[in-house]
Amino acid sequence: MELSTVLKIKNAETGSTVDMELEPDNTINEIIESAASFWHKDPGAYVLRKGKKVLSASITVKESNLISGDVLELIPDPEGG
Amino acid sequence: MDQQIRVGFEKDDRLDRSRRIEWLDTKKISESSALVLGAGAIGNEVVKNLILSGMTRLAIVDFDIVQRSNLARCVFFTEIDALQKSMKAEALARAASSLVPGTMIEPVIGRVEDLPIDLYKKHDIVLGCLDNFNARLHANSHSRFARVPYIDSGMQGAIGKVFVSLPNGPCLECASNITHSKIAALRYSCTGTSVSFYMPLVPAEITTTSIVSAMAVREGLRLLSSKAPPLEGQMIYYDGLRSILDIMQVDIDPNCPNHS
Repeated sequence: MELSTVLKIKNAETGSTVDMELEPDNTINEIIESAASFWHKDPGAYVLRKGKKVLSASITVKESNLISGDVLELIPDPEGG
Repeated sequence: MDQQIRVGFEKDDRLDRSRRIEWLDTKKISESSALVLGAGAIGNEVVKNLILSGMTRLAIVDFDIVQRSNLARCVFFTEIDALQKSMKAEALARAASSLVPGTMIEPVIGRVEDLPIDLYKKHDIVLGCLDNFNARLHANSHSRFARVPYIDSGMQGAIGKVFVSLPNGPCLECASNITHSKIAALRYSCTGTSVSFYMPLVPAEITTTSIVSAMAVREGLRLLSSKAPPLEGQMIYYDGLRSILDIMQVDIDPNCPNHS
């Protein structure tokens, strides 16, 4: 049985963080959606980064090689022009 | 016979200082053309930077009119444009052409979603200066289909981003997720027609606009000059309040419709 992973998600706009427990088949999309809900984000677009990399939405925690303790940052994707 | 020059000749050359930049190929730039999608704040700055860099052929696309609230960050729009409700693409083309005589700027009044693919194919580079993700994703996929590099820019308050997408590399859709889809779903009914809904006005100010636009045009000039590799498949992310300028890698998403 595969163990769950606990990631630290950081809200780039406020600096606050939350620990999120994930199964290996959870996707980046699910992390983004849960984090945006947790912080009651306004309707808008966000991306999740790990260091210098934007994480692809459809891949899983396992495919992303994420491990417990990793810090991911939720950043706004600006829509205005 | 030796070549003869006139003293001070370099002061009469409009692009003299640009020609001194090693990576900048002013000849290639002057022979290239750009499709600028959106004539808002970023579009104004992008057009200014392109023509002052020596580009002489552009097309500018926008369906909207100039409003007074645009004037605080759109360098080419005037009070008269706002009073007369000028079309943004026409006002921008007119004013920019007068800034650099000889520049040929074609205004196109219309929505990005309605543009023919041939318009993309006629240009060497596409710059997305749009205000919504639906139009961005449309421009992204059509640029790829036309095999033309697409440079996307966006801003919100002190935050800005620029993304460079080349025909064979990661695209804007690879960097999109469920939050982008939700916005897209808000804009369209189940029949596919656009609907009205409330979206808060995007906070914007000229300093972010200037920085984002300059970075977008810089990447375009690098691409056209072919002397310095552009940031292919990378997102330049700027946060003015945190004084952050970051470059983030975007990979091809195996489930991206543009790559499958």
